[in-house]
Amino acid sequence: MTAPVIVLVEDDPGLRTLTSRALQGDGFEVHPAGSAPELWRVFEATPIDLVILDVMLPGTNGIDLCRQIRQRSDVPIIFVSAKNSETDRIVGLELGADDYLPKPFGTRELVARVRAVLRRGGMNRRTGSNGEGKARFDEWLVDFPRREVRSPTDAVVDLTGAEFDLLSSFLHHPQRVISRDRLMELARTRLGDPSDRSIDVLVSRLRRKLSQRDRKPPIVTVRGAGYMLNAKVQHF
Amino acid sequence: MSRAKRFSIGLIGQILAILLLAIAIEFGVSTLLYERVSRLSVRDDEAHRIAESLVVAVKLLSAAPPEQRHALADRLSTDRYIFGWRATQVPLPAGTPGLPSMRLQVTAWEPSLAETDLRLRLKSPGRSNVVIGSLHLRDGTWVEFIAPRVLEPSTFTGNRIALALVPAVALTIVGALLMHLILRPIRDLSRAASRIGHGQTIHVEERGPPDVRRLSRSFNEMQDRITELLDGRTRALAAVGHDLRTPIARLRLRTDMITEPAVRAAFDRDLIEIDAMLGSLLAYFGKDTDPEAPARADVAVMMASLADAAADEGANAVYEGPDHFELVVRRGELKRALNNLVENALHYAGNATLRLEPGNNHVVLAVEDDGPGISEAALKSVVEPFTRLDGARARNTNGLGLGLSIVDDFVRRAGGSLSLANRPEGGLRAAITLPV
Repeated sequence: MTAPVIVLVEDDPGLRTLTSRALQGDGFEVHPAGSAPELWRVFEATPIDLVILDVMLPGTNGIDLCRQIRQRSDVPIIFVSAKNSETDRIVGLELGADDYLPKPFGTRELVARVRAVLRRGGMNRRTGSNGEGKARFDEWLVDFPRREVRSPTDAVVDLTGAEFDLLSSFLHHPQRVISRDRLMELARTRLGDPSDRSIDVLVSRLRRKLSQRDRKPPIVTVRGAGYMLNAKVQHF
Repeated sequence: MSRAKRFSIGLIGQILAILLLAIAIEFGVSTLLYERVSRLSVRDDEAHRIAESLVVAVKLLSAAPPEQRHALADRLSTDRYIFGWRATQVPLPAGTPGLPSMRLQVTAWEPSLAETDLRLRLKSPGRSNVVIGSLHLRDGTWVEFIAPRVLEPSTFTGNRIALALVPAVALTIVGALLMHLILRPIRDLSRAASRIGHGQTIHVEERGPPDVRRLSRSFNEMQDRITELLDGRTRALAAVGHDLRTPIARLRLRTDMITEPAVRAAFDRDLIEIDAMLGSLLAYFGKDTDPEAPARADVAVMMASLADAAADEGANAVYEGPDHFELVVRRGELKRALNNLVENALHYAGNATLRLEPGNNHVVLAVEDDGPGISEAALKSVVEPFTRLDGARARNTNGLGLGLSIVDDFVRRAGGSLSLANRPEGGLRAAITLPV
C-alpha cells in the first residue's frame, strides 16, 4: 500500500518544515506549500489524499481557499488555526473542512487527527455516503468534523478525545466484534501505552455517557473476543 | 436642534422660573389673605362698645386743655382699649390693609365718628389680631386707639395658620415637582453611569435643558472613546496572542524530537503552560467580541469527561453525581470555567472531585479538593483579575491570575453565582450555582 499523500499549506516556513517532518516520520508523503498558487501546482501534479490548511494565510484567506478546493475536489481538509474560537471553528466546518486543529498542536495529536480523517475518508468511499461526516445510531447523532455527539434529546454530550476516537471506531465497524488488541492499537495515539484494563475503563466510561433510561447500552461485551456496537449506523 | 436652543432657557433659567413662580404664588396668596382681612368684622356689641368709648374719648379730650390731654388719655385707657393723644397724625403701620367693614359697623352706631377721619388697621396681619386706629379732633390734634382683643381669636387663628401654611405647602409641592422634572435627564445619566462597564454600551438620550443635553452628549462621546480604546487594546492583544501560537507550535513539534524523555516532558509541560496562559488571556479579553450562543448540553457528562480527561493525563480527578443532567448553557464557556476550577484544584491540592448537585430550580456544579484552602481574607480577592495568592497558593494555574476571574465572569453573565469556601474537613470548595 502506498503512503497517503498530504499537502500541507502553511505560510510560516519553520512550522511548515517541522510539520512536514513530523508527518513524514509517521510514514506519510508530504508536499509542503507556502501559498495558494503552490497548492494548485501540487494539485495538478499528483493525486492527493488530504489537505492540511492554515486558515490565516497571507494573500488568500484560508476560508476562501477552502471553498475553492471544495469546488474542485472532495479531498479531506483539516483546518489549522491559531484563532481557536468557536465561530472560527464552525465557519471552517460549515465550509466543508473535515476537522479543525487548533495551534499549537503536538505531533501525537496531529497524527491522530490525520489518521482519523483518512480512515473516515476511506470509510465514506466504501459505504458510499455523501461525506457530510455525520453518523446516526439509536437516535444519537455524531458529527465527526466537529467531534460532537448529540443525545436523542438534542443535548451536546462531551466526550474526551480518547472516548470519541473509540466511538468512531465502533461507528465505522457497526455490529462487528472489535478485539481489544485492535482497540488498543487504535487508541495508541491517544493513550500512549494502553492496556487491556485501560480499554475496559474507556468502554465503560463511554457506555455510561451514552446511557439512556429504560434502554440497554449500545456497546456490548463479547466474552473472550472484544466489544461490539449493537446498533444500526447510518452514515451521511 | 438650533430651534430647540433658541427657545430653551437653560438649567439656570428653569430654576429661576421656578423661583419666580414661587414668588408669584406667595404674592397671590398674600393678596388673598389681605382681602380676607379687609372683610374682617367684629361682633355687634363689640362695635357698639368701641363706638361709645371713642365718642366719650373724643368729647372728654376735646373739652380738656391740651397740657392735660396725655394724662386724661391714660386715665381713659382700660385693658380693653388703650388711648393716646398726639399733636400730629398717628403713624399707622404702612402697607397694612384697612378694615372697612369694621369701620362701617362702628360709624353705624355713632355717625358723628364718620366726621373724625376714623381709620382702622390690623397691626400686623397674619400674625396678630390687634386693631390699631386713629381719628382727629376738631382742633387738628389726633387720638390714637389700640384694641388688642376685639377680633375673635378662635376663628381667626385657624384661618391664619391655614392661610400661612397653604402657600408653604403649595410651594414645596410645586417646586419639588418642577425640580424632579428638570433633573430627570441627570438621574437617567447617573443610572446609565452606574450600569457602564458591565460589557454593554448604554447610550443616554440627549434631552432636557441645553446644559444637561451637552452633559449627555459628552457622556456618550466619552463612552464611545473608552469603548474604542478598550477595543483597540483587545484587538492588539488578541493579534499578538494569535501570532504567538505559531512559534509555540514550532516549539512543540521540535520538542517531540528531543530523545531524552525527562527533558521532553519538561519542555512539553512548559509549552502547555504557556499556551494555557495565552488561552486564558484571550478568553478573558475576547469574551465580548465572540459571544457563544447558549445550547442544550449534558452538564453531568461534561463534568465526567473533564475528570476523565484529567485522569487520562495521570491526574487524580473523579466525578460524583448523576449520569445525566441537561441544561441550556454557553457550553464552551462553562467547560472552560469548570476546567479552570479543576486545574486550580489539581495544581494546589493534587486532586479534584467534581460534583453535580441538582436543586429545585438551580444546579450546583462544585469542584472540591483537600489541599491547603485559601485564607478567609483572600477568599474575596481571588476572583479579581490578575490576583495571585501568597504562600501555598502562590501561583494561579494559568499563571496570570485570570482563571477565577474568567469563572466569575461567566457565572455572572449566566445569571448564577460563584462561591469559594474552605471545607470544614480541609481543602477548598468552589461551587458554581446556575439557574435551571
